[in-house]
Amino acid sequence: MTNTARPSPIAWLIAPAGLLFVLFFVMPFAVMTAMSFYSGNPVTNPNAFLTTRHYERFILDTAGIFHEALWSTLRIGLVTTIVSLLIGYPLAHWMARMQSRLGHALVLMAVIAPMLTGIVVRTFAWMTILQDKGVINTTLIQWGLIEKPLPLMYNEFGTIVALVHIYVPFMVLTLTGVIGRIDERLEQAARSLGAGRLRAFVEVTLPLSLPGILAGSLLVFALSISAYVTPSLMGGTNVLTLPMLIAQQVGTSFNPNFAGALGVILLLVSLAIVVAYNRILARLSGEQGMA
Amino acid sequence: MSVARNRRPFDAGRAAYLALNALLLAFLLLPIVIVLVFALNPTPYISFPPVGVSLRWFEKFFTSAEFMNALWLSLWVATVVLVLSIVIGAACALALARGNLPGRAVLTAFFMSPLMVPAILTGLALFQAYLLSGIGRPVWGLIAAHTLVAVPYVIRTTLAVLHNFDRRIEEAAAVLGASPTRVFFEVTLPLIRPGVFAGGVFAFIVSFDQFPVSLFLVVPKGETLPVVLFNYMKFDLDGAIAAASMVSILLALSVVLVLERLIGLKAYVKL
Amino acid sequence: MISRRKALRAGAGFAALATVGAPSILHAQTKTLKITTWGGKWGEVMKATVLPAFEKEFKCTVSADQAFPFLPKLQVSPKNEPIYDVLHANSNEQWNAVVEGLVMDKITAKEVPNIADVYPYAVSDKIVGVTIFTSAIGLGYRTDKGLTKPTSWKDLADPKLAGARGGYLIPVNSLGQAHLMMLGKVYGKGLTDLDAAYKALEALKPIKLVDFTGQMEKMLLSAEVSMGVIHDSGVYRYEGANMQPVDFASPSEGVLALEQVLNVTPGSKVKELAFAYIDYMLRPDVQKQLAEAVWYSPANKKVKLDAKYDAKLLTTPEKVATLIQPDWKWYNARREDIDARVTKILKG
Repeated sequence: MTNTARPSPIAWLIAPAGLLFVLFFVMPFAVMTAMSFYSGNPVTNPNAFLTTRHYERFILDTAGIFHEALWSTLRIGLVTTIVSLLIGYPLAHWMARMQSRLGHALVLMAVIAPMLTGIVVRTFAWMTILQDKGVINTTLIQWGLIEKPLPLMYNEFGTIVALVHIYVPFMVLTLTGVIGRIDERLEQAARSLGAGRLRAFVEVTLPLSLPGILAGSLLVFALSISAYVTPSLMGGTNVLTLPMLIAQQVGTSFNPNFAGALGVILLLVSLAIVVAYNRILARLSGEQGMA
Repeated sequence: MSVARNRRPFDAGRAAYLALNALLLAFLLLPIVIVLVFALNPTPYISFPPVGVSLRWFEKFFTSAEFMNALWLSLWVATVVLVLSIVIGAACALALARGNLPGRAVLTAFFMSPLMVPAILTGLALFQAYLLSGIGRPVWGLIAAHTLVAVPYVIRTTLAVLHNFDRRIEEAAAVLGASPTRVFFEVTLPLIRPGVFAGGVFAFIVSFDQFPVSLFLVVPKGETLPVVLFNYMKFDLDGAIAAASMVSILLALSVVLVLERLIGLKAYVKL
Repeated sequence: MISRRKALRAGAGFAALATVGAPSILHAQTKTLKITTWGGKWGEVMKATVLPAFEKEFKCTVSADQAFPFLPKLQVSPKNEPIYDVLHANSNEQWNAVVEGLVMDKITAKEVPNIADVYPYAVSDKIVGVTIFTSAIGLGYRTDKGLTKPTSWKDLADPKLAGARGGYLIPVNSLGQAHLMMLGKVYGKGLTDLDAAYKALEALKPIKLVDFTGQMEKMLLSAEVSMGVIHDSGVYRYEGANMQPVDFASPSEGVLALEQVLNVTPGSKVKELAFAYIDYMLRPDVQKQLAEAVWYSPANKKVKLDAKYDAKLLTTPEKVATLIQPDWKWYNARREDIDARVTKILKG
């Protein structure tokens, strides 16, 4: 395929999604972006004036918290993505290669179940497990292994554990579809040519599953940089992310204009990351099937 | 798959592989065990170790008209969203992968963007747009909003599968005289099934568990389950929300199983 | 376009037409009062008895929104056609709303006759709108951890409580904000002495912070914290159902008021009905019912609670005198700086 090829009729299949996105995403966010350049709501408040002060507030960061919040958002997103991949890949591989249909259905349910607990309840379950008087610390203290509770919660560690738990299923399901499509005979051929199991995996299966890895990590990254319920419940005072600040600005500071500005900034930063990511995706595997 | 695995004697590598996976599953299921304990524990707070077993929270959940209405509304909305986003998302993925569209990387990123905005802003922006345009807050507005945040999953998972399959299969079918429609329904569609399935599961769950977007778009007496649960929890953090969670798991799992029967995560097609 | 509510009403109209034949016009003329209200036990009582009785008496329908956050929704809706007629919120949110012109700045006994019977705090200069109930913010503590009953706000700083004391995320929780001002009063020159408050806050580290009161209740009940800032209702409401040794203490410096305030939106099309609703909520029988359901202290002086509630809630002029009302207008004007400052103090 060459880049100069003209769009084929299949391109029209983009229309329904395009329409949905223009009506329910582009237009509402255009309004929100416009709002982020106003001092108040120009529709309800005749005194609202045009200003760049919300962006200045972020860029100048005289309060000294916004840049740090952006950085910790991205850092938590990155770590969560990597850990989810490390946990999700073996499970996905197992599922994709499982012969028994019943076994497959059972593992599938076990993997999906965490997504169905409901965000708030699930987070409370993690608090019960990780807090100072929680399951882990109580047990360890009873066994005499530790004297003081381990700092498992109220920090970035607890936040990441809970985030990984929610997002592993996204990774697993995305990967399973891709790994399942890789012909197992390729791996077996490599092994019959003398490659060890690990080497056959590293040289055959892993490269072929790259599109799944990239797609899954993209999903998880996007989700974890926009999460706010989990970080605010698990992180205590030690975690402050951009989505938490946005939720604060909307829900308790009543400053949707500044929230909009923070949202625009977060969206631009993450879009830049995702476009770069997609370039890699295209380069590593995109053209392969079309060669 | 056509390849049968040979029965082998004890295999240390394989045992380690299985043990690792069992451990990972335990990590995923541990919090659910806690929720179950919380749901069965008679005291109105999470205590460890639990003090007894009671069904009072399940009873409270099932006898509350508010919870029940919310549960049905959520199920109904999520089902509609599931169907809409599978169709819209899979079509969009096909167009992106096969349409020779210019600026594909940018378009793909664009279709991911609803996931990258904190959902509370999406909810607020849509609420504002609905009010400004005089639409109000009809239930289709809520469905459209859920579909918007669900479609990116279907696009992503379908694209991942599309990237990996050999286009020559489609071409061969066409060379053999199959019409483009037939190629689509008999070759392309079965091949992308695992991706569409995964996306469909996400779509259903994202809608069923959707909280921040719904927050602004629900109307009094037309609230979805997560909104009702959250507002309940602000005041009464008792086992009823855990019972609700267990019921949701069972209901949603059955939907997933039906979906698995209909579409299938593994492609049971011979290559 | 027709909204869902209109469609529903139209549906009801058709149904009436089909079964009775004539009075579908009545349905179309029924006024609707749009209010916000709390969920949980409060919401249950409201929906089961309080609101149906109001609807019947005033021949209207009430549409009660329980889905937070209310104020952002009101901010977005057109001022001449507000999404709510009556806003139920805590007093600092009402102050935010009045600054933007979203609610009325004064309501008097002329519009709401029962205001004549309320305690002075309910309509003081620290309040916009009308307080219908208040809670007292004090200290909740475990009685099984060898702690003596706290008598002062300073008791929370006891070194024994390191890591076992609880507070709130100040940017998102008004109890946390009120507590910060109280620190200024206890350790410095007064409620507005922020420098003293910041210093005192720093000294409370390590402290477990939560974002809403329900969470603090659970932390006390599960002994994750031994002492924490909480409102009386959050401790008393577990009475009976709860065998956990948790009690509430009112510090000698005074308790902070956590007011439940009602106010009317200036653009409301049914203002008469909105005032009537506030008046109704201040009636002694309605007040008694709700107060005893959730352990809130009623604002109406004439309410006679059962002995068990009367003993613990603020029902006499002497007890009411221990309430301290923060100046939210002052606080809200500085909140951006305060939020940034406390975030930095508490981090790491």
